[in-house]
Amino acid sequence: MSSLQDSSTRTVRPADLAEAAAALADTAGRVLVSGAGTAADWAGRPDAPELVLDTTALTGVRAHNPGDMTVEVRAGTPLRELNGVLAEHGQRVALDPARVALGATAGGLIATADAGPLALIYGSMRDLVIGMTVVLADGTVARSGGHVIKNVAGYDLAKLAHGCHGTLGLIAEVVLRLHPLPAATLTVRLPCSLAEAAEAAAEILGGPLEPAALEWCGDALLVRLEGGAAAVDARADRLITLLGLGAVRLTAAEEAAAWDEHAVLVAGAEGRPPEGTAVLRVGARPSRLAGLLGELGTELGASRVTAGLATGIGTVTLPADPETVSLAHERVHRAGGTSTLRARPVDAALPGWGPAPAAVGLLRAVRNELDPGGRLGAGRFAPWM
Amino acid sequence: MSLNGTAQRDFERALGAANVISDPPRLRSYECDGLTGYRVVPALVLLPRTAEQVAAAVRVCATHGIPFVARGAGTGLSGGALPVADGVVISLQRLRRVLEVDPVDRRAVLEPGVTNLDITRAAAPYGLYYAPDPSSQQVCTIGGNVAENSGGAHCLKYGFTTNHVLALEVVLADGSVVTLGGDSGEQLGPDLRGVFLGSEGTVGIATKITVRLLRAPETVRTLLADFPSIEAAGEVVSDIVAAGIVPAAVEMMDTLAIEAAEEAVHAGYTRGVPAALVVELDGPVEECAEGFDKVKAICEKHGCTRLHVAGDAEERAAIWRGRKSAFAAVGRISPDYFVQDGVVPRTRLAEVLGRIAEMGEQAGLRVANVFHAGDGNLHPLVLYDAAAGETERGEELSGKIAELCVELGGSLSGEHGIGTDKACSMPKMYSGTDLAVMARVRSAFDPAGLCNPGKLLPTPRLCGEVPGKFTPHPLEEAGVIERL
Repeated sequence: MSSLQDSSTRTVRPADLAEAAAALADTAGRVLVSGAGTAADWAGRPDAPELVLDTTALTGVRAHNPGDMTVEVRAGTPLRELNGVLAEHGQRVALDPARVALGATAGGLIATADAGPLALIYGSMRDLVIGMTVVLADGTVARSGGHVIKNVAGYDLAKLAHGCHGTLGLIAEVVLRLHPLPAATLTVRLPCSLAEAAEAAAEILGGPLEPAALEWCGDALLVRLEGGAAAVDARADRLITLLGLGAVRLTAAEEAAAWDEHAVLVAGAEGRPPEGTAVLRVGARPSRLAGLLGELGTELGASRVTAGLATGIGTVTLPADPETVSLAHERVHRAGGTSTLRARPVDAALPGWGPAPAAVGLLRAVRNELDPGGRLGAGRFAPWM
Repeated sequence: MSLNGTAQRDFERALGAANVISDPPRLRSYECDGLTGYRVVPALVLLPRTAEQVAAAVRVCATHGIPFVARGAGTGLSGGALPVADGVVISLQRLRRVLEVDPVDRRAVLEPGVTNLDITRAAAPYGLYYAPDPSSQQVCTIGGNVAENSGGAHCLKYGFTTNHVLALEVVLADGSVVTLGGDSGEQLGPDLRGVFLGSEGTVGIATKITVRLLRAPETVRTLLADFPSIEAAGEVVSDIVAAGIVPAAVEMMDTLAIEAAEEAVHAGYTRGVPAALVVELDGPVEECAEGFDKVKAICEKHGCTRLHVAGDAEERAAIWRGRKSAFAAVGRISPDYFVQDGVVPRTRLAEVLGRIAEMGEQAGLRVANVFHAGDGNLHPLVLYDAAAGETERGEELSGKIAELCVELGGSLSGEHGIGTDKACSMPKMYSGTDLAVMARVRSAFDPAGLCNPGKLLPTPRLCGEVPGKFTPHPLEEAGVIERL
């Protein structure tokens, strides 16, 4: 980040919507939105900004009515903190990407379209955001959605923020749908290869056990069940019977360690991948994911694989070399999948994206309407726009 | 109204003359959708058979500057498929092939004219189903569901159409074709698919839709419980949620709605009780059993006067028949009625029902209430007698109820959409700036403004030069939120 900013870069740190709107209205140059910094080097490298809009003071719960299971927060609020507060009411934002533990903010998780293993049941932020207030590049403040989970009035502009990577507008405030914290969770671990895991996953998903998360990481398949205390235990018995020899029920401590290990594979230790490497997130038709990730391994040296065998979302770690990353993007694209570059060495010039999607013209048209000067997050979608 | 001859010839060349309807009696059968109070006869109706023909038809529209309105089964309740007088209706009824059912990746690829229920029929042999289940599911089409982001009784647990669509092939207003979304449901960059879903036909026409299929749950448990008051039933819903249970469905009916349903289908509801709840849980056997015991205990704690647990699939179907027939059944107890659709935060259900009762009394009209209690989505049915000159009063009361929902921190619509019906009420919910930004997004998709014009956003032509006064959100007035 620091390498992008020279002495002419200003930083503002608004504490509320009004200050954020004023900061944008007062600026004519390029603006880089920055939150906790856990995804600062994801996607395309931003052009040097004149203004860094730091959202780390744009924090706090604005409204939480536990009975309605919704919460309104300022977008710079770290999800970890928010979930800490909600847990006192037996509730949560049901989203568990690896970098939540590193302090990722609600707004940052939306802007980067991030999600973790729980996406199998709860989807990503696009499925959890029910209202949003954004500030456009010219300082215009606009709201869409509201405080109720069921709402079809007007365009769902919050969807445009999902995956915007700091372009289009500043996510200032969001209203999120909440889910109850499960009374019990339990993880069953099956040591196996990726190919074996894919077979096991197909069997589990063909049955009635409804796992909350199902991920292969490194050398084993992890299957998490969530629900009532007695019920989860009985379901785990059925799951172990189904998976057969080798499947074991993890203790609470083992469970936490296993999922931490998964998070480290996805985000790197302390949010950094091993030196000289970069992380690629891959989406594919679920039944094709294991094969595709396997090919990235044999052909391009991908390692540290995680595979959401039900969601079709996986991550791999690649040598931080432009040609390798570019080939990986192309390989995924040819398989009909999607790929996004994530953490990488700070100064490495790696392609953030593969071939442009068919809708790139539409993306440009939306950007031209909302941010005609292309001031926000310039470079994030290079070379598409 | 008619188009110039060149345009009509271009449409005939693109689709074949037999697929271009221009004779007035046939055109009239497209003059309205499920909201029959608004009627406009279109200049032409087009009946393409393929996605390519849809794109070709839209290109002709773009060339000649002709507005177009996409139409599925015409069951929409907000006038979203109301024709434009000098425009064409593009009917998707002939694009009704199920292109693919993939039991391994649990998805189906559909043409837009496939009915909602036919998706589940195609998936059923594999033990799969399509979750969103609007009441009109036997006839409504997936293309219409995409346009309206349809819900249904089970969306509390399973979500809305937007949560179940992975990818869309879309014809944009200039006739170009793009795909939004993808194989894993991941989209590179901003989620344009999410903007398209629920855009009420104003940003393009979906010609191919990939949806997720779910495995049919192992068990379904359903109960019907009577309560001495709406408040008691409301507390049951709150306690179920507070207990960490996410039911597949929680539906509430009041005395009048129960009476109407019993009159029509004799589903075994208790006439005269102030409130009845239908609670359904589904999932793995153990989870269902554990949750269902808790739900029964909560019902008893709040003075439930009768608790009927469906003993088999037939009894469950009977409970749902009562609930789902309630709309149409109201016709048995009143000559005419308006169906309203609004949402309040769930904890304000009792309050909003009290206010609706007061407003009904003041207007001298009865209001029956059927609603999705789990998510605060109300469907008040305003009963009136057109022959007695009550139409205007009924319409006014119905409109006021939707606006009351906004006043209480909710929404103008939970599932029926804004369409023509509520476009002029949008300023009650959003500021002029909010609406202007929505208009900019619409313009990015359709700069020429040909795609279902006059719907969703208020226009001077529809609403008069001065739209209704914007009222601040109550949380805003209380200083809890601000918008500048």
